[in-house]
Amino acid sequence: MNHHHRYPPSALAGLAALTLVSAGCSTAADTSPAPQPSASAAVPVRTGGAIVIGAEQEPDCADWIATCAGSIWGTYIMQTPTIPKVFDVRRQGDNWVPVASELMASEPAIKDQDRPEITYKLRPEAVWSDGEPITSHDLKYTALQVRDGKDIFDKTGYDRIASVETPDDKTAVVTLKSRYGGWRTLFSSGYGVLPSHLLQGKDRQAIMKDGYDFSGGPWKIKQWIRGTSVTLVPNDRYWGERPKLGQVTFQFTPDTAAAFQAFKSGQLDAIYPTPQLDAVEQIKSGLPGANTQVDAQTGNLEAIWMNNGTFPFDSQPVREAIAYSVDRKAIIERLYGSLGVKQPAQSFLSPLLSRYAASAFSKYTRDLAKVQQIMSGAGWAKDTDGVWSKDGRPARFTIVSLAGNKRRELTEQVLQAQLKEAGFQMDIKNTTPANIFGKLAPGGDFQMGLWTLVDTFPDPSLSNSFSSTSIPTEANGRSGINFMRAKVDGLDKLLEQVDTQLDETARKEASAKADELIAAAVPSIPLGAVPNVLLWNQRVGGPIGINPVEGPWWNLAEWGLTQ
Amino acid sequence: MKDVSQGRIAVRRFVRHRMAMAGLLTLVALMVCCFGANWIAAYPRNAQDLLLGPTSPSATHWLGTDDLGRDYLSEILYAGRLSLAIGLCVAVLSTAIGTLLGAVAGFARGWTDEVIMRLTDLLLIVPGIAVLALALQGLGSSPFTIILVLTGLGWTMVARVVRSQVLSLREKEFVDAARVLGASNPRIIVRHLLPNLVGVVVVNMSLTVAAAVILESTLSFLGFGIQPPQSSWGNMLSQAAGLIGTSKAYLLYAPGVAILLTVLAVNFVGDGLRDAFDVQGRP
Amino acid sequence: MLTFVTRRLLYSVPVVVVASFILFVAVRATFDPLAKLRQGHDPSALQYQITRLGLDRSVFEQYVRWLKEFAGGDWGVSTRTGGAVLPMIGSALGTTLQLILWGVLFAALLALGIGVYSAARQYSAGDHLFTGLSYLGIALPPFWCGLILIQALAVWPKQQFGLAEPPLYFVGLHSPGLSGINADYFRHLALPVLTLTVGLVASWSRFSRASLLETLSSDYVRTARAKGVPGRRVLLRHALRNSLAPFVTVVALDSAVLFGGLVVTEQIYAIPGMGRLFLDSMLAGDVFVLLPWMVIVALATILLNLLSDAGYAALDPRVALR
Repeated sequence: MNHHHRYPPSALAGLAALTLVSAGCSTAADTSPAPQPSASAAVPVRTGGAIVIGAEQEPDCADWIATCAGSIWGTYIMQTPTIPKVFDVRRQGDNWVPVASELMASEPAIKDQDRPEITYKLRPEAVWSDGEPITSHDLKYTALQVRDGKDIFDKTGYDRIASVETPDDKTAVVTLKSRYGGWRTLFSSGYGVLPSHLLQGKDRQAIMKDGYDFSGGPWKIKQWIRGTSVTLVPNDRYWGERPKLGQVTFQFTPDTAAAFQAFKSGQLDAIYPTPQLDAVEQIKSGLPGANTQVDAQTGNLEAIWMNNGTFPFDSQPVREAIAYSVDRKAIIERLYGSLGVKQPAQSFLSPLLSRYAASAFSKYTRDLAKVQQIMSGAGWAKDTDGVWSKDGRPARFTIVSLAGNKRRELTEQVLQAQLKEAGFQMDIKNTTPANIFGKLAPGGDFQMGLWTLVDTFPDPSLSNSFSSTSIPTEANGRSGINFMRAKVDGLDKLLEQVDTQLDETARKEASAKADELIAAAVPSIPLGAVPNVLLWNQRVGGPIGINPVEGPWWNLAEWGLTQ
Repeated sequence: MKDVSQGRIAVRRFVRHRMAMAGLLTLVALMVCCFGANWIAAYPRNAQDLLLGPTSPSATHWLGTDDLGRDYLSEILYAGRLSLAIGLCVAVLSTAIGTLLGAVAGFARGWTDEVIMRLTDLLLIVPGIAVLALALQGLGSSPFTIILVLTGLGWTMVARVVRSQVLSLREKEFVDAARVLGASNPRIIVRHLLPNLVGVVVVNMSLTVAAAVILESTLSFLGFGIQPPQSSWGNMLSQAAGLIGTSKAYLLYAPGVAILLTVLAVNFVGDGLRDAFDVQGRP
Repeated sequence: MLTFVTRRLLYSVPVVVVASFILFVAVRATFDPLAKLRQGHDPSALQYQITRLGLDRSVFEQYVRWLKEFAGGDWGVSTRTGGAVLPMIGSALGTTLQLILWGVLFAALLALGIGVYSAARQYSAGDHLFTGLSYLGIALPPFWCGLILIQALAVWPKQQFGLAEPPLYFVGLHSPGLSGINADYFRHLALPVLTLTVGLVASWSRFSRASLLETLSSDYVRTARAKGVPGRRVLLRHALRNSLAPFVTVVALDSAVLFGGLVVTEQIYAIPGMGRLFLDSMLAGDVFVLLPWMVIVALATILLNLLSDAGYAALDPRVALR
C-alpha cells in the first residue's frame, strides 16, 4: 500500500483528497464520474481551448517512487493524468472502491494461498505516448525498482513481492511472500506503472524528477517551470477517451488569499483551496459566477493525537477524561457547519474507508460529570487553580500543530477553553511541518498534537499508525508512524488480520473489532473529516467532481470550455 | 546647568511641533487603551461564543466579532499590548545595547573597536530574514524570543551611528579637559559622552519602535510570529488576510489600521525629536 | 579604484568564511537534514543517505567538505526536490533580480522626482502631501499593502466596470505560455513593483528632499543664485548633481537587503524568486538549499556595499578611494 496512509508532509496546508456522501449516488463504471449535487454535469462543452487552474502547492519532484516525491499535489496534477495504473478509484454506491482501469483487459485475480499469485492481464491496445505497447515488463520493472531500489519513498506492499513472471507481453504474474489484504494498491495508488523501455538501465530519477515527456494516460506533461506552472497537453496516442481541452496549465499560487483574488478576477479558472474558514467566507460572499462543490467523504481525518508514552497521557483514565472533556460536535459545526458538515468523526478510519469502520467513538461526548468521576477514581484531585493534579503534578500539557494554519489555530483555542473548564491546562505551541513530522513526532517529543491523517487509497491501513511495531525507534530508524506510541492490547493481531486477510468480509470484521478496541483504550481522539472544496468558473464545464483519491482533476479529460 | 537648559530648549521645540504632539497624544492614548485593556475593554480576553460566531459591527460589538465569536475591539486592545510591548522592548533594548557597544567601540578603539565593528559587519551581511527564521525556528516563537531576535538584529545600526558620533566627540575639548582633570574612562563615557548622544539615540529609538511593529506583523504573515492563543496585531492581520473582498473584510482592516496609526504616531514623534535635538541624518 | 576593489574583495573573504561557518552550524543545529526521509517507510533509505552525505562525521569535517564543494561549484542536491541546488538558486536569483531592477529603478526615479519637487517648493501643499504619503508608505505592513493593492487595482476595477480581464495581473510574471519582455510581462510586474516601491520610495524621497535642501542652503548654491543663475537651473545642474552621490549610496545599500528580503512580495504574487525559495526550503527543512542561499545573499550584500562605495566615489570627485 504505497504511501496510501500518511501524514501530509508538506505545507502550510492540511490538504486533502475528499468527497461528499450524497444520498442516491450510484454508478461507477471505470470512466463514468460520480454525479455530484452541485456539479455542472449537464453543461455542454466544446473541444479545444485552454484553462488555467490554481495549485496551492508545488510538488517537489515527479519521480513518484523516490523519497523526494510524496506531495499529494504531484499526484493530482501530474501523476494521475500521465501514469497508467492497475486500479482506478471510482464510486460504487456510497463507497469509493478500487476498479480495474482501462489499462486492464480483465479484473486482476488473486489466488488465495500461502504464497498468493496475482495475475494481471493488460489490454492489447494500451500504449505509451511513443507508440510502444505497455507490457508486463513494465510491471516487472516497476515492482523491482520499488522493492530493490534505494531512496524509495515507501516500499509497503512491494516488500512482500517474491517474484514477477512475464509469461507473455500482456500478462504478468506476481507472487507474494505472504497474504496481503492490500494487494490492490500494487501498481495503483501512488506508483502506477512505469515504462521499462525508457527507464531500464538508466537513471530513473534524472529522467523523471523534473517532469518527463512520456505518458500512458490521457495527458502529457508539456512543461514544468519550477515555481511557476505545470502545463499539460493531450497525449495523442492515448487509447481511451481523448481530452476535450487543448491545454491545461496549473499555476502555483502559494498564498491562499491571493489565489482567491486571482480566481475572482478570472486569472484562474478553478481552484481547490485548503478548506480554511476564509474559503468558507469567500464562498459565502458569493464569488461571481462560481460553481462550488463541497465534499465530506474524504480521506482526511483530523485528530487530536496524544503521546501515550508521556505524562499525563500515559494514563488511560486521563485520555478517557480528555475524550469526555472535548465537545467535538461544537468544534466541527463551528469550522464546517456552514459547508454542511456537522458530524464529528467516530473512527480513525476516514470517511473514505467508512465501510471498514465502526462508529466506536460516538460514546465520547462532552460530559464534565463523567470527567470528574473518572479523574477522581484514578486518584486525581483539583488543585487551587482548578487543574487536576496527582502526586503534585498538575495535568498540564502542550499541544503542537502546524504554524500558520488558521483552522487549526482556532481549533486549538476552542480546545483550550473546553479543556480548561474540565480541569486541564493546555498550552499551545505550533511549529513548521518539517519540525513536527521530521523531529517532534518521530522522536516522541510532544504531548498532544493536532494534525491530519491522510488515506490515499480505499484500503484500511491503520496498522501503520496504531500497531505497536510501528512505533518509531532507533531500531527501525525512527521510520514508523505510530507517533502516539499507542500500545493497545490485542490490537496488533487484529490489524495484522486486516493487513493479511484476502477475504473482504473477514477484513471488515477484524477492522470493526480493531475500531472498538481503539475506542476503548482511547490512544487518541478522532476529531472530524476535513471537507474539501472545489471552485470553478463559468468558462469551464463537464462532469466536474472531486475524487477523494485521485483528486479533483481525475477526469480532466472530460472537462471543456462551455459553448 | 548647560544640559538642563539644552533639555528645556528641546522640550519647547518639541511641544511646538504640532504633528509630533499629535503623534505623542495618539501613542499615549493607544498605550493607555491597550495596556489598560483589562479595565477598558468591554469583554474579557478570549471570551469565546461559538454559537454566535462571526458578526458584523454593531452596537454591542463595535468592530464585530471574529470566527470564535470574540469581541473584535477587545481582542484588538489585548493584542495591542503585545505589539506595543514588542515594539518598545526592542527599541529600548537594541538602543541600550547599540549605544553601549557603539560608545565603547568609539571610545576604546583598538581591538575592542575592531571586534565590535567586525561583529556589526557580520550581522550586516548575514541575511536578516535568515537569522530571524532560524532563530525563531530553533528557539520557538514566543514574544520573548521575538524581542530577543529583533534586538539582536537592531542594535548594529545604533551602534554604528553612536560610534561615529563618539569618534568625533572624543576629539572635542571638553573630553580632553575631563581627562586632564583625571576622570576615568567609564566616567567620561557616562558623564560627558552619553548626554551629547541623547538626540541621536532618541531619534533612532523611535524609528526602531516603528520598524519592530511592522517586522512583527511580517513575521506573523510568514508563520514565524506570535502564535495563538497569544495575539498581536500582526497575528490578527495575517489571520484575516484571506477575508479580503468578503463582507468580513473589516476584520482585516481593523488591526491594519491599528498598526498604521501606531507607526505613523511613532514616526511623527521621531520627527519632532529630530527637530528638537536638531539631529542630522537620513529619516 | 582597482586596488580599492581588490582589497575590499580580499578583505571580505574571511568575513564570508566565518559567516558561512556560523550559518552552517546554526542551520545544522536547527534542522535535521534527514527529516523528510523519516516520514517515509523505508529505513534502508536513511542509512544510505547518512553515509552518502557524510552525516556521521563531525560538524567541522562536514563544514570543510561543504566549503570545498561549494567553492568548486558543487552545491549539492536539495532534499526537497532532489534537484541540483546551483541552478535552483540561479533561477531564483534571476527572477528576484528582475523585481529588484525594476522596483529600484522605478522607486529611485520617483523618489528623486518627489525630492526635487518638495525641495523646490518646501512647505507647499504638494510637499506636505508627499511627506504625508511617504509616512503612510513606511507605516503599511507589506503584505497588507500587497493585498489591498490587488483588491484596489485589479479585482475591484474588473468587477466594478465589468471588464473581461483585470487591468493588472498578480499571479507570476507571465501569463501561461508567454515569456520575454512584453505588455503581458509589465501587466504582471506592475503590482509587485508597486508594492515594493511603496516601501522604498517613502524613505528615499525624504532622504533626497533632505539632502537637496542641504545643498540648496550651501554657499556655492547661494553664490550661483546671487550671480543670477535661474532657480530651476541651480536646482537641477548644481544641487541635484551634488546630492546624487549620497542618494546612490543609500539606494545601493537598501537594495542589498532586497535580495533575501522580498519573501512577502514573492509569496503574495506567486513569483519564484529568492524569497520564496527561502520560505519553501525553510518549511521543508531543506538544509542543502538554505546554506548556499544564505551565502549567496551575503555575497550580494557585500557586492552592493562595494558598489555603493564605488558609486559614491564616481559621482563625487572629492572622494578618492584608497
